[in-house]
Amino acid sequence: MGFLAPWFLIGVAAAALPIYLHLLRRHSTTPHPFSSLMFFEQRTQSSIRHRRLRYLLLLSFRVAVLVLLALAFANPYIKRTVASSGERRMLLVIDNSFSMRAGPRLSDAKREAVSVLNSRHPAEGAQIAALGSELHVLTQPIQDSAVLRAAVDSIEPGDARGSFGELARAVRSIEEAAHAPIELHLFSDMQKTDMPASLAEMALPPHVSLILHPVAKDTLPNWAVESVQAPSQVWDPKKAHVEAVIAGYHTPAASRMASLVVNGKIVDSRKVDVPAGGRATAVFPSLNVPYGWSRCEVRIDSADSLAADDNYLFAVERSDPEPVLFIHESADSRSPLYFGSALASAAEASFTLDSVPVDRASSTVLSKYAFVVLSDVISLPAPFENDLLRYVRGGGSVLIAAGTSAAHRARIPVLDETVIEAHDYSRNGERFATVAETDSSHPSLQSSEGWAGVKFYYAVAVDPSSSRVIARLTDHTPLLLDKKIGEGHSLLFASGLDDLTNDFPVQPVFVPFVRQVARYLSGTEEQKGSRLVDSFLELRTTKEEAVSVEVIDPAGHRPLSLKEAASTQSYQLRSAGFYSVRLANGRQDLVGVNADRRESDLEPIPEDTLTLWGGKGGPDSQHQANLGEHQDQERPRSLWWYAMVVVLVAALGESLLAGRYLVTLAEKP
Amino acid sequence: MQRFLDPVVLAEISGLDLIARTVVDGFVAGLHRSPDFGFSQEFAEYRAYSPGDDLRHVDWNVFARTERAYLKRYRGETNSLLTVLLDASNSMNYASGKVSKMDYARFTAACLFYLAIHNQRDAAGLIVFDDEVRNYIRPSTRQGQINRLLHGLELAEPRARTDFAKPLDHFRQFLRRRGLVLILSDFYEAPETIIRTIEPLRFHGNEVVLFHVLDPKELRPDLSGPAILFDLETNLRMEVTPEYASNEYPKRIEAHITALRDRARSARMDYCLLVTDRPLDAALRQYLTIRQGRN
Repeated sequence: MGFLAPWFLIGVAAAALPIYLHLLRRHSTTPHPFSSLMFFEQRTQSSIRHRRLRYLLLLSFRVAVLVLLALAFANPYIKRTVASSGERRMLLVIDNSFSMRAGPRLSDAKREAVSVLNSRHPAEGAQIAALGSELHVLTQPIQDSAVLRAAVDSIEPGDARGSFGELARAVRSIEEAAHAPIELHLFSDMQKTDMPASLAEMALPPHVSLILHPVAKDTLPNWAVESVQAPSQVWDPKKAHVEAVIAGYHTPAASRMASLVVNGKIVDSRKVDVPAGGRATAVFPSLNVPYGWSRCEVRIDSADSLAADDNYLFAVERSDPEPVLFIHESADSRSPLYFGSALASAAEASFTLDSVPVDRASSTVLSKYAFVVLSDVISLPAPFENDLLRYVRGGGSVLIAAGTSAAHRARIPVLDETVIEAHDYSRNGERFATVAETDSSHPSLQSSEGWAGVKFYYAVAVDPSSSRVIARLTDHTPLLLDKKIGEGHSLLFASGLDDLTNDFPVQPVFVPFVRQVARYLSGTEEQKGSRLVDSFLELRTTKEEAVSVEVIDPAGHRPLSLKEAASTQSYQLRSAGFYSVRLANGRQDLVGVNADRRESDLEPIPEDTLTLWGGKGGPDSQHQANLGEHQDQERPRSLWWYAMVVVLVAALGESLLAGRYLVTLAEKP
Repeated sequence: MQRFLDPVVLAEISGLDLIARTVVDGFVAGLHRSPDFGFSQEFAEYRAYSPGDDLRHVDWNVFARTERAYLKRYRGETNSLLTVLLDASNSMNYASGKVSKMDYARFTAACLFYLAIHNQRDAAGLIVFDDEVRNYIRPSTRQGQINRLLHGLELAEPRARTDFAKPLDHFRQFLRRRGLVLILSDFYEAPETIIRTIEPLRFHGNEVVLFHVLDPKELRPDLSGPAILFDLETNLRMEVTPEYASNEYPKRIEAHITALRDRARSARMDYCLLVTDRPLDAALRQYLTIRQGRN
């Protein structure tokens, strides 16, 4: 037993304090008068020697509290012998990340792991784990060789990206729980891209000896489809195009044939000249897919050992453009022109604008429109306004542009907000107002660049108390407000959509604004047709509870149990392929999942870095690890926690006894 | 009547005169003698005449019958002179019970005065001293002397410390006539010093009696544990163990008493130990014994 902070043992001297106090208590009695002390003698020494300690149990508790406190601060420890061969644990980690699919790497790793298992001492426990983006422990520390070999055989190639940082973190956790030295065998291709940003994240605990078993010595050339830019929704196949980046890792300059595959059929092919160790882009000008979801991929001809990254999966949904109803005054021909042009150019033909003058609006059927735009309408026919209000409450949405006509009436239709006043900035000294504040968290204003340059000459001010203000002008007039009405939304733009009350329609920011507003009001947010392995797919929002979701993985299995399907918020995409998903809102999605292309770079970690990681000096690391292991056979185990528990008990006993004695003393006359 | 001699009972009585009367009357009644008992007229002996003797003392009746001249001698033919020296130092204030040593000494002195004046027709006086003479009442048989003495006793409050050497010269001046000198004190001084200081009183022909007044706890202290004691005279503080108080101290106080008694007797002085939990008759008995012996 020893002490990690022996200087705190000085505190043991404090134990003299209660002894002194208990003696002093006797000593401090009231002096007694006596007629003469001529026959007495001073007997101080004798007095202390014969002075009897009272309340011995209380004194012992007090002394114990002080002594144990000093002991606890001194941090006592005992050395536990933990490094005997019988207690040493062997941890065999087999890398099954995506890069291990190259050639026979995984089979080589498994074979070498089995040979290590066979060479170990039969009484020595071993544990098998697979390393991907995280460490999957397959067995407990056991000695049964057959079970261990079966665990090794069960390891399948994965699509995740390997992470040595995650390996180190997991091993640290295991070591803390095991309290035993660990002999870590890593069977991996030692891919450089699996290293974390800092080597310190790979540091292993001192009682873990790392023995590396590289299964790939050289850097293999590898071509891969690195990324694909393709729309997830297509309304007009002629306006959709696909761009694919073909990358070569440590490859010579070569020509590759890139093919666009839709539902298993090659629809287009391009020849791409990839420079040595560089990248090239293949562009497919159209994406002719059938209605509904299509499984698409860009594929290159395989010419390397890692064929799994020669294609890139993505899903595309084709549907008809949705109509948008645009209500305007008969004399207003500018606003439908500007808004329609912006909608056509921004939303990739996903919307068609149906422009209707206000006097003919009563005959329209609102239910077929994605959303409705009221552009500076002076007055709406009462039946149409009622229909519009019913449409919004039922889940529809409306964008209201309040131009100069809003000044003629006291309230905004549908929104039911009172117009406080109209600001004509052109008559002021500044001539115009600009946007001062924007709420970029709102979906309709996610990209707010360029708003500062827009000049507003006219705007109406409404009471914003019941609405969410998304943008304000420099005089704090709310410019863009969102108000939820029933199930739908009503968006108020406090100026016109023509270029008379502002120059917004002729500014570049107008197009993305129209696109975002259209997507927000129509409820069709942008979908991603492709994702990476280990990313998370959002299955439901917090409001969509108790609605079942469904996930079908690339193998055709349903990985979610019924309970999980009814409650889980997200799902981790663990393997490459197409996932068919039915979300809680009823939407059916198809997601193409691809492995992280950083796994395509098969360059191994430099030898010196590996030596540094092993920390024991290269090829004889195992020998030195064993040496260190024997030196560290005894490791300190702190006892301060136990000391503190005893302190607590002693303090409790002291309190009880002291309270009892005090009561006794108080009762004495 | 014995209970009236108990100092604890006497402490409940407020007036010293009443105390003295109670004690002395009870004491005298306990002797089974007549209250008119006296010594002054009592015949002692005949002695043959020798030239130079006072002819007034010749018993002429005997001469007539025998034609021989004899002198007739009586006891107590003269009154005694009683002087009480009362120690009023702070140490006399010690009390383990209800009666302090000073109270006890006062009771004793009051009783002696009462007995001397009322019963023996003796002149009685009082000297109160500590480290100097604080009060002196000349011995007298005049009317009201008993009241003066009792008043002097009541005024005698313990103060300062005992010092026999310093007031000794005053004692000599006051005690020029032969008589009986009773010293009431706790005698916390070395016995040789005490005797050396008091012994000159004997040279004038005085009978000196040392009444050593002690509290029972001074003879055998009772300490339950280590304690701090402080001296009533010097205010000195001392830590004392019960072992010492029960083993060593009684031996030393006993040795002190023995030494004082022995030295007093060797100096032809009488010694009487008065313990404050005992009745007062010891002092009275001692006084009467000595008084009888003088006649």
